[in-house]
Amino acid sequence: MRRHERLIVAAAVLGLFALWEALVRMGRLDASLAPAPSTVVESLVRLAGRPEVLASLGVTAWEVLAAFLVALPVGLLLGFLLAEVPVLGALFRPLVNFLFGVPKSIFLPVFILVFGVSIPQKIAFGVFTTVFVLIMGGIAAVQSVPRELITVSRVYGATRGQIIREIYLPAMAPILLESARLGMVFNITAVLLCEIYGARDGIGYRIAAWGENLQMPQLYAALAIVAAAAVAVNEALRAVETRLGAWRQRT
Amino acid sequence: MTWPERHLRLAQAILYLGILAAWEILPRAGLVPRLFVPPLSEALGALVADHREYLGSLPTTFGEIAVSYLIVCGGGILAGQLVGSSGTAQRMLLPVLRSAYAVPLVVLYPVMMVWFGLGSQSKIAFASIYAFIPTMLTAVAGVGALSPALAETARAFGATRVQQILYVALPASLPSIVAALRLGGALVIVGVIVAQMLGAAEGLGFLITRHRTLLNSPGVYAGIVLVLLITGLHEILLRGLERKVAAYRQGA
Amino acid sequence: MTRALVAICGVSQRFGAGESGVTALDSISLEIPDAQFVAVVGPSGCGKSTLLSLVAGLRLPSSGTVLCDGEPITAPMPRKVGMIFQEANLLPWLSAVDNVAFPLKLRRVAKAERLAAARRMLELTGLAGFEDRLPHQLSGGMKQRVAIARGLVQNPAVLLMDEPFASLDEQTRMVLGDELLRIWSETRKTVLFVTHSLNEAVYLADRVVVLSARPGRVVDDVLVDLPRPRSFAMAASERFGALKDRIWQHIKSAERA
Repeated sequence: MRRHERLIVAAAVLGLFALWEALVRMGRLDASLAPAPSTVVESLVRLAGRPEVLASLGVTAWEVLAAFLVALPVGLLLGFLLAEVPVLGALFRPLVNFLFGVPKSIFLPVFILVFGVSIPQKIAFGVFTTVFVLIMGGIAAVQSVPRELITVSRVYGATRGQIIREIYLPAMAPILLESARLGMVFNITAVLLCEIYGARDGIGYRIAAWGENLQMPQLYAALAIVAAAAVAVNEALRAVETRLGAWRQRT
Repeated sequence: MTWPERHLRLAQAILYLGILAAWEILPRAGLVPRLFVPPLSEALGALVADHREYLGSLPTTFGEIAVSYLIVCGGGILAGQLVGSSGTAQRMLLPVLRSAYAVPLVVLYPVMMVWFGLGSQSKIAFASIYAFIPTMLTAVAGVGALSPALAETARAFGATRVQQILYVALPASLPSIVAALRLGGALVIVGVIVAQMLGAAEGLGFLITRHRTLLNSPGVYAGIVLVLLITGLHEILLRGLERKVAAYRQGA
Repeated sequence: MTRALVAICGVSQRFGAGESGVTALDSISLEIPDAQFVAVVGPSGCGKSTLLSLVAGLRLPSSGTVLCDGEPITAPMPRKVGMIFQEANLLPWLSAVDNVAFPLKLRRVAKAERLAAARRMLELTGLAGFEDRLPHQLSGGMKQRVAIARGLVQNPAVLLMDEPFASLDEQTRMVLGDELLRIWSETRKTVLFVTHSLNEAVYLADRVVVLSARPGRVVDDVLVDLPRPRSFAMAASERFGALKDRIWQHIKSAERA
């Protein structure tokens, strides 16, 4: 985006919020449905000071992190195996493709049946949702390594370890990071879905509770926090992805 | 070294049959608690036995899906075409939309429930929002893939703006429009079902949740199987449509 | 008589087994003395590239041996044999100088030393000033120069080149051909140069080996007695044409067979 376009977009966004504020104050927008941004900001500041709220955020963050740390190595390793071992790939790829296309959210009740409403349940569901993205990413990453480069390395006397370190890893890095980023998006959504569906803690649980009790300013404030956190994580991962993938040029 | 085709097909068939067999046998043998995974036959049996209940949930569900489908595919694709045809719009909006993709939209459902209550409106609103951006992004990508050479050729032959859109832009974007429909449709179906699971008075998702609270595993699985059938059917239909449309397109 | 640097002794190469097997090369014997520029030509599928991969140590011959400096080649010998491919095959995430230094990095040569060697090679191939460019910032011809520099950086005695100019446009091909001859005359490597182009073969080489269609056998071994340095004008001479024609007769009859 060019600089002046950036300003236009920023101005438009601010303008929308200003309009929202004005409509509420004029009584044209029902404050019990959509409280004024100023009220939401006030609520946000207050929430940030309440330890229980911070604790809930911590619980959610912990679930997201734990699920990701499990799904990442498992998914990538499975992806590598499926891509590198032709027999395994040929056998299991159709199954994996099918499962990848199936919406995972509908299996949430099964996880509650198995684990009950608990933190392990949410982590398990997060892993389940995320792992398929990472498997596909692992497969794509391995397949993206240009085979000719391996031949070149062999001619120049590279050992197996050197081929993995010097060829595979740099070649795979951009796709691996991209699937990690996408996986994280799915992961966060999955964990929050669990918390809204049925949980005893976590920010999603609080969001659902505030909704039920029609505590709109708190609800909107929490939405803002969650949205900001998710976007921040995504952009951070994207920045790393761009940096490590600068050598990829699309003609 | 990879196996010959025949062996692979045989091995795959054995694998998949094995999975289905395990689904049936392991719970029956007590190796897997029936609460967690009921035997396949019981799940299907529940579907058949309570078929009136399940079928009864479909009209509402399909209705909500249909309306959301129209909004998302109509609006999303149209918006995508418009944005895609303007370089400035793309530059300004796409980064914002791509960042917005990361927001876990599921958290909006409680808001929808406050605004619209438990009825169909909240499901439609949620599913529409949930599916809108990805569908729009797919449509934009399709417009971008349009070869400028085609448009120039049309102009060289004296086509008016309208003719250009009707005879060049539209047929050329058809494959990506169908691709957007396929993605949007899948997301809409999931969006409606999930919304029904989260808070509703009726619908397939509501049924699944109810069976879960009653610890009726076969009932839960029956519902899931039904959802899978619906998404599977949608997928098959749209893939067929995609193939048809791509066949009309001659190259480029 | 100069001792052969590269000796190919009765080499045959079969792929696959039994009925469905394919014999790519059949009893090839060649002796290549030090510092000779040898071109290998032949119809498509005659096994030229397979021959190169045997000398590179990328595969073992089904029968016969390939010797380099008296030693049988059983695995890649990066310090003796460098190879350049049709596609430059540069590592896209490394700059030109890092790409050239790559073989040295594999041998764990210290950073300062290998970068210095790489820079010297880039200068030799006419790319001074482009050290820090990434491959996507280089033209096709420049990428091949980097590949050639990479092939030379370990100062191998033998340089294998598998249709290195095939994917470049004609003008770049001509420029690079002259560049290659300049580098060869300065460094005196033994070159084995596979090409489809008879022009290229006669223009560049001291000697042109002609292979038959599959299974590849040596059907002719032509000494190119044109003086060096070669010039564009020579390509129009009668002698040049006669040499080309002699080679072409073999290939023509092979393609028709």
